[in-house]
Amino acid sequence: MALSKDELKDAIEEKAVKSPKPQLYIKDFYKCDPESKPRVIKNVANEMVREGRLMFWSSGSTTMYAIPSRIQDEEH
Amino acid sequence: MAKHETPLLDQLETGPWPSFVTDLKRQAEKKPECWDILGILELSYKERITHWKHGGIVGVFGYGGGIVGRYADLPKRFPGVEHFHTIRVAQPASKYYSTANLRQLMDLWEKHGSGMTNFHGSTGDIILLGTRTENLEPFFWDLTHDMGQDLGGSGSNLRTPANCLGQSRCEWSCYDTEEACHHLTLHYQDEIHRPAFPYKFKFKFSGCPNDCVAAIARSDVSVIGTWRDDIRIDQAGVKEYVAGNYPPNGGSHAGKDWGAFDIQKEVIDICPTDCMWMEGDELKIDDKECTRCMHCINVMPRALRPGADQGATICVGAKAPILDGAQFSTLIVPFMKVSKDNDFEELIDFIEGIWDWWMEVGKNRERVGETMQRVGLPTFLNVMGIDPIPQHVKEPRSNPYIFWKEEEVEGGFERDIIEFRKRHAA
Repeated sequence: MALSKDELKDAIEEKAVKSPKPQLYIKDFYKCDPESKPRVIKNVANEMVREGRLMFWSSGSTTMYAIPSRIQDEEH
Repeated sequence: MAKHETPLLDQLETGPWPSFVTDLKRQAEKKPECWDILGILELSYKERITHWKHGGIVGVFGYGGGIVGRYADLPKRFPGVEHFHTIRVAQPASKYYSTANLRQLMDLWEKHGSGMTNFHGSTGDIILLGTRTENLEPFFWDLTHDMGQDLGGSGSNLRTPANCLGQSRCEWSCYDTEEACHHLTLHYQDEIHRPAFPYKFKFKFSGCPNDCVAAIARSDVSVIGTWRDDIRIDQAGVKEYVAGNYPPNGGSHAGKDWGAFDIQKEVIDICPTDCMWMEGDELKIDDKECTRCMHCINVMPRALRPGADQGATICVGAKAPILDGAQFSTLIVPFMKVSKDNDFEELIDFIEGIWDWWMEVGKNRERVGETMQRVGLPTFLNVMGIDPIPQHVKEPRSNPYIFWKEEEVEGGFERDIIEFRKRHAA
């Protein structure tokens, strides 16, 4: 059974906090809930950006996600 | 007064062509940060290494695209370009601008940025080169609220869709490219502004097989106008061309004396499928052999026109060279009606079928064309629920490795794998 939205958000956040690299691809979050469709996970991740729990990091050609405190530290 | 010595860049001004160096020097009189662009570029020419750092967290709130972060790695030496972010502004369909709109946009860019631009980027957007992080939100506010314009796509987003002039200017356009582009741009606002995919995704709309927007070379989904009945022939017009009364190619090569128009040499003999001939003074076409190269129509536009049963061919998987080199898109649907009457429903279903599959199967930074190549066309067609057809095959018998399933063959078949392996080792 797929996780609830709140459970999925927590799983995504945990994944982003524990990941050795601060930036993660959207596909890295798919593993947080194999039952959920990629489009659902994408929508939840983007909602977390609006809430400030995640942040986009873009190379220009690829966009990745990160925990704001981790990526801001690295950026500065 | 120049801030940096730039002897290498100065050389570029000595050629007969207009020079971006001259443009930058002129702009630097108004925007001093442009001196630092020249300085950092001169240093890169000298050291043969870039001093730009690529990417970052910059953007405007709620958007995951449209801004490309750019920083200098020598900010103390070149403080004017410490931040030098790129902004992509979505171009209007077919790139129709009013001069008032362009002036307003340039005034806005002088106010918030360096004033340097690139018209247009290869995706089609207006590229505004160079601003600081703190200017991004004020620029975005003015752009959206005062001008009613929007940012384009970047990153792993749907990129700004692009189209040819279509039916607004062109009699050959087989569907309304502007309407299709505009409709899908509005329909996919979320995908344009927020990352959704393993990598970038583009669709482009060309009204006819001349493909003026180069969809077949540059887009993951190329929507190229075509027809499925016969080329319309006006035999009286053919006679006028043969008699030399109409200039071939619409007179576009009239600057040189090419001699009298020769329909045999200039049209019939160079038809790629050999499907045309003259019977007396009438031009005949075996339309089932026509591959829509457009040459005959381009040469004799007053005598030949695309057929009347019009729609589009859908090809998938073009890209510029990143991993495996450049590739054209592959024909998947030979003919599809592309119409506003049903809100482009069939096209939208097709695109979303690709997305659902690619989002799951595509690797990070893998374009959909590369995913198709990796899994093979038969698998892709199977996933998309499309029956294989002869048009999917480049040439007969070049790839014998088609494995039929029992249910795909009428009457099925029985196969004893143990017996088979006795004769053919694995």
